[in-house]
Amino acid sequence: MFTPLDIRVGWYLARRQVRRTSIWTTGLIVFVMLLTFLNLVVVTGLLVGIVDGISKLYREQQTGDVVVSSLNTENYIKNSQNLIAFIRDLPQVERISARYVSPGTLEANYKTNTDPNERRNSTGANIFGVDTEAEDAFANLSSFVGEGSYLAPGDYDQVLVGSQLIDRYSFGGDIPGLTPLRDVYPGSKIRVTINGSTREMTVKGILVTTANSPLATGVYMPGTELRQLMGRDDFNVNQIAIRLKDSDEADRFSDLLIKSGVGEVALVQTFDQAIPNGVAEVRNTFEQIGNAISSVGLVVASITMFIVIFINAVTRRKFIGILKGIGISGEAIEVSYMFQSLFYAIIGASIGLLILYGFLVPYFSAHPIVLPISNAIIVAPFTGTMVRVALLAFATIVAGYIPARMIVRKNTLDSILGRN
Amino acid sequence: MSTTPILQTRNLTRTFKSGSIITPVLKGISLEIARGEWVAIMGRSGAGKSTLLYQMSLLDDPSSGEILIEGREAHALSEKEKAHMRLYKFGFVFQEYALMQELTALENVMVPLLMERYTVEHAREHATSGLDRVGLGKRLNNLPSQLSGGEQQRVSIARAIAEAPEILFADEPTANLDREASSVVMDIFRGLHKDGQTIIMVTHEEEYGKEAQRIVQIDDGRIISDSPTR
Repeated sequence: MFTPLDIRVGWYLARRQVRRTSIWTTGLIVFVMLLTFLNLVVVTGLLVGIVDGISKLYREQQTGDVVVSSLNTENYIKNSQNLIAFIRDLPQVERISARYVSPGTLEANYKTNTDPNERRNSTGANIFGVDTEAEDAFANLSSFVGEGSYLAPGDYDQVLVGSQLIDRYSFGGDIPGLTPLRDVYPGSKIRVTINGSTREMTVKGILVTTANSPLATGVYMPGTELRQLMGRDDFNVNQIAIRLKDSDEADRFSDLLIKSGVGEVALVQTFDQAIPNGVAEVRNTFEQIGNAISSVGLVVASITMFIVIFINAVTRRKFIGILKGIGISGEAIEVSYMFQSLFYAIIGASIGLLILYGFLVPYFSAHPIVLPISNAIIVAPFTGTMVRVALLAFATIVAGYIPARMIVRKNTLDSILGRN
Repeated sequence: MSTTPILQTRNLTRTFKSGSIITPVLKGISLEIARGEWVAIMGRSGAGKSTLLYQMSLLDDPSSGEILIEGREAHALSEKEKAHMRLYKFGFVFQEYALMQELTALENVMVPLLMERYTVEHAREHATSGLDRVGLGKRLNNLPSQLSGGEQQRVSIARAIAEAPEILFADEPTANLDREASSVVMDIFRGLHKDGQTIIMVTHEEEYGKEAQRIVQIDDGRIISDSPTR
């Protein structure tokens, strides 16, 4: 085993060897370590970030920080208007959006489709009835209108349709019951059917967003319109999305609502709890894929370090022999190579940390990568990142130790004389 | 004063094998070296003189026979014990200086001292005085590549004698040096011997061999003569 004396002498040798190694050699090794570190952290971070991007979209465009929904046993939130007034008066609340929500069916091209045997061009969708101004303030809905225009408060028989419901945007294909609508543009007529009640409406705008955005499969119309379609003659809504002044307070605010008795009449969830189940599963899957890719990166880093140290040790075999010859312990020589490996790993990881937290994370948070399924960010929690730094350091220490040990174990005199 | 030889070999043999080829290099060397003695081992190339030095300095293991250091059997020691003995009791001067190229003259001398548990400060002081002794007090911070061959060999000597070894082993210490540098090295050896240092030196140069007290001539793995020079 390594004694404190071995470590002391190894440290002394390593410091001087690193200090006097060519700047280009050091730079190259550190660069490889930097790339490995980024591979370890950024690949997983980006994969998780794709899913977190979806979560972020739900939070920004639908759930807010906390969302209150009707209980599974009820069709709506009872005494909604009192509840809305109560929530709106709470000091933590920045704004809310109350919505009527119903599943429904959209049908297009029914005028040109005269053959009864031809498949109808219809698709299912979540239909939201909203206060158009409040919803725009809440979810910035108008900014997503890629074609046509946004709803005005007095609009009658007008809807906004999510882009995934339109075939030229959708990549959903011919899923039974979810056939995207063909040839639908602003001004096109579509039939909206809810609970057997059908009404012809005009597409006023198309919400163009990534596939996993809640807007992409939604249909928006003024709340009064949807109430009529649903045959609802009260003002009880199905969903109240709440945006807090301090978004970090979601858990505490959710608890507050539950303790206040809201939980007895409605389902209270934080944004995290309200995210569809599949998203959490996809997140775990991506995390595992990221870890698998990172593991490969770790192996590559270890092999790189092994080769670097092996070449270094082989070319210095004679001097390793001399050191042993004059009585320096083999362990001290091994420790010196382990310190050198650790140095390269730590410098590479430190530069990587600076790039990660100084540039990549803030940059992609402000400018997410626009992908078909979400706007991806880089998720790199500090603790997890430091675990990866430790893994990288450990792997490189081992990768530095093995070749040093191989050379140190060779016969001292053979090493001195350069004999094989 | 003890009369036990500082180093003794008894019927030492060393045979090298390469596949089916067996080459006996040492064929029964028995030798006694007294404390404070300066012995030159001489012989033509391939006679086995360096091989004998490596056996005596515990850098290589004999095929048979015994090596005793201060009367204690040394050939059977473990690798760790041999390394310990090389560190604390022996000093080495190699033909090609054997310096660490990334370390300055001072640091090259300091490394074995650190291994001997000196503090960095104490090792620095000790190494500085060792380099002063060989006339390199002003070249402490030079890398080996910035020193001449003779200066590098003097650093090597400073490293070897830094901790006053019981025995100084020198393998062709002047072979790579010009006349002037060789003369400086031999001056240092003379000074060390005068101070009581035991020196075992392999050389093929008669001129320098005669500087020693005693010349052991080897040929074909056997001692063919062992006589004082004066």
